[in-house]
Amino acid sequence: MRKLRIRFGLALPAWVWLLVFFVVPIGVVVWYSFGYKPSIFSTNANDKLSFDRYVEALSPTFFATFQNTLWVGIAGTALCLIIGAPVAYWIAVKCAPSRRGMFLALVMVPFWTNFLVRTIGWQIILAPEGWLSHALQFLGVIPGPLGILNTRGAVLLGVVYNYLPLMILPLFVAFDRVSGPLREASKDLGAGSWQTFFRVTIPLAQPGIIAGVLLVYIPLMGDYITATVLGGAKGNMVGQIVASQFQTAQNWALGSAMAVLLILTIALSIGVMAAIGWLVTIPIRRSYRLTLEDAR
Amino acid sequence: MAHGGAHGQPPVRVLANATSARKIGAELTRRGFLATALAASGAVLFTACAPQKASAASQANGGPLEDKLSIYTWSDYDDPDLLSAFTKKKGPKIVVDAFNSNEELVAKLVAARGTSGYDIVVPTGPFILPMAENGLLERLNLDLIPNFQTMNPHFIHRTFDPKNEYSICKAWGTTGFAYDKTVIKRELTGWADFIDAAQNEASGKTSLLDDPAPMCGIYFWSHGIDWNTTDEKHLADCEAFMTKEIAPHVISFDSAPGGQIIPQATAALVQVYNGDARTGIAASKNPERWQWVLGAPATEIWMDNWSIAKGAPHPEAAHAFINFIIAPDVQVKQMDYIGYDTGVEGNQQRAEEAGLENLDMVFFTEEQIATMHEGKFTKAQERIVAIWNATKAAAGA
Amino acid sequence: MTVVAERPAEQADPSPSTTRAGSGRRAKAPRNVSRWLLPLWATLVFVFLFLPIAVVIVYSFNVGRLLISWDHFGFDSFAAIVTKPAVRDAVLVSLRTGLIAAVLATALGTLAGIAMARTPGKWVPWFLGLLLLISVTPEIVDAVALLPWVVFLGQDLGLSIFNDGTVRLVIGQSLFSIAIVSYIVRARLVGLDAKLEEASADLYAKPFTTFAKVTLPLAMPAVLAGFLLSFTLGLDNTIVSAFVQVSGTTPWPVYVLSALRSGLRPEIAAVSTIMLVLTLGALALVALVLKKAGDSAADIARTMAGG
Repeated sequence: MRKLRIRFGLALPAWVWLLVFFVVPIGVVVWYSFGYKPSIFSTNANDKLSFDRYVEALSPTFFATFQNTLWVGIAGTALCLIIGAPVAYWIAVKCAPSRRGMFLALVMVPFWTNFLVRTIGWQIILAPEGWLSHALQFLGVIPGPLGILNTRGAVLLGVVYNYLPLMILPLFVAFDRVSGPLREASKDLGAGSWQTFFRVTIPLAQPGIIAGVLLVYIPLMGDYITATVLGGAKGNMVGQIVASQFQTAQNWALGSAMAVLLILTIALSIGVMAAIGWLVTIPIRRSYRLTLEDAR
Repeated sequence: MAHGGAHGQPPVRVLANATSARKIGAELTRRGFLATALAASGAVLFTACAPQKASAASQANGGPLEDKLSIYTWSDYDDPDLLSAFTKKKGPKIVVDAFNSNEELVAKLVAARGTSGYDIVVPTGPFILPMAENGLLERLNLDLIPNFQTMNPHFIHRTFDPKNEYSICKAWGTTGFAYDKTVIKRELTGWADFIDAAQNEASGKTSLLDDPAPMCGIYFWSHGIDWNTTDEKHLADCEAFMTKEIAPHVISFDSAPGGQIIPQATAALVQVYNGDARTGIAASKNPERWQWVLGAPATEIWMDNWSIAKGAPHPEAAHAFINFIIAPDVQVKQMDYIGYDTGVEGNQQRAEEAGLENLDMVFFTEEQIATMHEGKFTKAQERIVAIWNATKAAAGA
Repeated sequence: MTVVAERPAEQADPSPSTTRAGSGRRAKAPRNVSRWLLPLWATLVFVFLFLPIAVVIVYSFNVGRLLISWDHFGFDSFAAIVTKPAVRDAVLVSLRTGLIAAVLATALGTLAGIAMARTPGKWVPWFLGLLLLISVTPEIVDAVALLPWVVFLGQDLGLSIFNDGTVRLVIGQSLFSIAIVSYIVRARLVGLDAKLEEASADLYAKPFTTFAKVTLPLAMPAVLAGFLLSFTLGLDNTIVSAFVQVSGTTPWPVYVLSALRSGLRPEIAAVSTIMLVLTLGALALVALVLKKAGDSAADIARTMAGG
């Protein structure tokens, strides 16, 4: 009993810290979202509570931004998955074990550069007067100066770039867990390479895939910097309008409502995707059931 | 004082005022020392957490300059060489941060409530009195700014701050646009042409200022309406116009397109301030492709001012800097860098003698100035910000 | 290790030879394709990942007024870290607050992770839920929540310590890091048997000795990985820092963010290149240490990804 109390006490400092500096401020934001903006020079007031700010945040003006963010979020995550999975598979399965560390480090190196700086790197690359633009025009690939910058496409490119390592790493761990002998056993039982991949590797790597998808989707939805640097007017994302409510419009109540809606949107969309994923795998699960009793 | 150590220990020297010293001496046994130390550290901790009057900075009195100075201003609005020259001459190291609009400046100061750390801020005229009334600005001590006497009389004692209690002119300018002649092959002469080009040749290549008032000004100036109107019908029309007719063609909102958009030609039609246009076009690889147009038939005249934020941690340095930067000898360099008239007496003559280029974008004729209208801080302020938000959201759709 | 594959009744057990031959002929084509396709894909992805980094490094040798317009080659931009006090201070502030935040997060997170792994109780799901909530909250929401709160603490409650720039930055950077460290340490310890600690207790070691001499060393790779991740995340922390920072204690990413508005200059690329080189050096060192301690690359990655 005494051991138990000591051990729980170990977590107490973290509890208190997170409570004071995370839970309470977020709670205050939720509280603000029910308020309003009384006058030009004051930020908010809470004497009259209502859902008006939520109605305002979902008005057609801002609803389009939520839609845009959702589109970029889902498309970006899907692209990260499609682009990153082969790389993770290659490192985990096809690479010589001694070289794996090096390639993993290579994947993480861009991560060790400042997020903002590497996004600015893309701004340089995509500049209409830059060398890439001139090269592509010279080769006849594009008719005029490169027009990707300041569009939704540029934001998509930027977020896929920035979050790709976050997808590759968990996928690597997941594929790594599906060890060689298991795949060999599958082949011995008559499955081809693709069959092995889709019916053995992927289902077993499922937790890792889910982790990767979540690790990318969630920060991507709240992204603010990529949209600011590469997006221009078209790349408006919810993170930016929340920021602008606090930084320029000084309407904390509205900004808080938008922030709460952002969290709800993320949670809801994850729930929907999980439901879809579960529904899609029912027919597969009915005909084949693969269990792994000892995966390590 | 030194206290002969009890029990044969070496004497302990303690630095304290007389009364405390006696008390400390009495308690300076080993046990007592421990107890006192604990109490003292507790007191220190308590003081760190004890309620303090918000912002210790008070009026500057001509005391010694602090070692730092923090400026919150518009983008790229001071010659970096002048900033280093100030540090070399007077000492304080300068840190510069930028905002895109007065609303952002106000929002930052209001949110921080004196803890922002900024000393000098640069608001535009109409915002100064409301900011002062809401406790965001410190009064200036003009005794510490003798160079105030050298200012051009036209640019001091303006209606927004008649006694210059809170502000001194930093620069004045106007708003117009620049267009890429290789994309827009006809001549544009005013806001009506701007709107037309935005909807045609420059669709998807238009950039607007990221500042609520001048952005909405496009509608008012081109339709002959006073841009300080509070008429709800006019404001509703403005919102409908901006969100439906203009926003779909906009590729970026930037208050300082001379930094990147014009040199990089990321847009072909750019709403821009005159000095920024001058800088941007000069920095472009082929400046001849750009043409600057003063907003017509009406546009704004704005004046940015040096002010000191409430709670400024380095008020002495702030005053010294303002005095330094409005001195006549640095004006030519500053004007050449930022492209605006800085409001000091004799500036136009100085600039002409120094042979600065494109002075028609810095100094204007009487007829041109007659078309420029000052902005006012009205009760439509929030509505204008809402229109700005809506336009940005519509542009992103 | 057992594999149970339940197949539909129709498919009788095929004879090994026919199946292997049959599937072999069909499988040979994909296997050949994948032999060169996968490495090609991986190479393209690596090029993609390194392109902006290379561009930034190249442009750090640009001497001119604007970062994005190439003027001419030179080393002048590198001098800025020495000559421009704003740049130098920003980097120092980042390093300082990153270090403090990492130490704090590692300390709190390690304790919490150990407690979660070794003391399962009703509180663990709640704590995990809290960590999950932190991971799910977008950084912008954190930022807009934290600024009014620290201003309230500093101004309304008079706790002036919260008006200090360093304190605010450390608080902002520590939140996500604590979650990460807790999770990684817990994952590492959950994977290891508690038998060693039980043995230590059986040998009459006091709980504190067990903790210090058995539990902590066992968790050490996770603690180190957590510390490293926290430090990197702290250095990179942009949004929360941009909101809560006090002018005068501006960290490097916020300096770059404001330079985005005031005009990007080549020294930004130069400083980024220097920081990249330093970070790589530090990482190589840590990898060396971990390798000597016996962890393979996959183990390290597994630890960092949470087991």
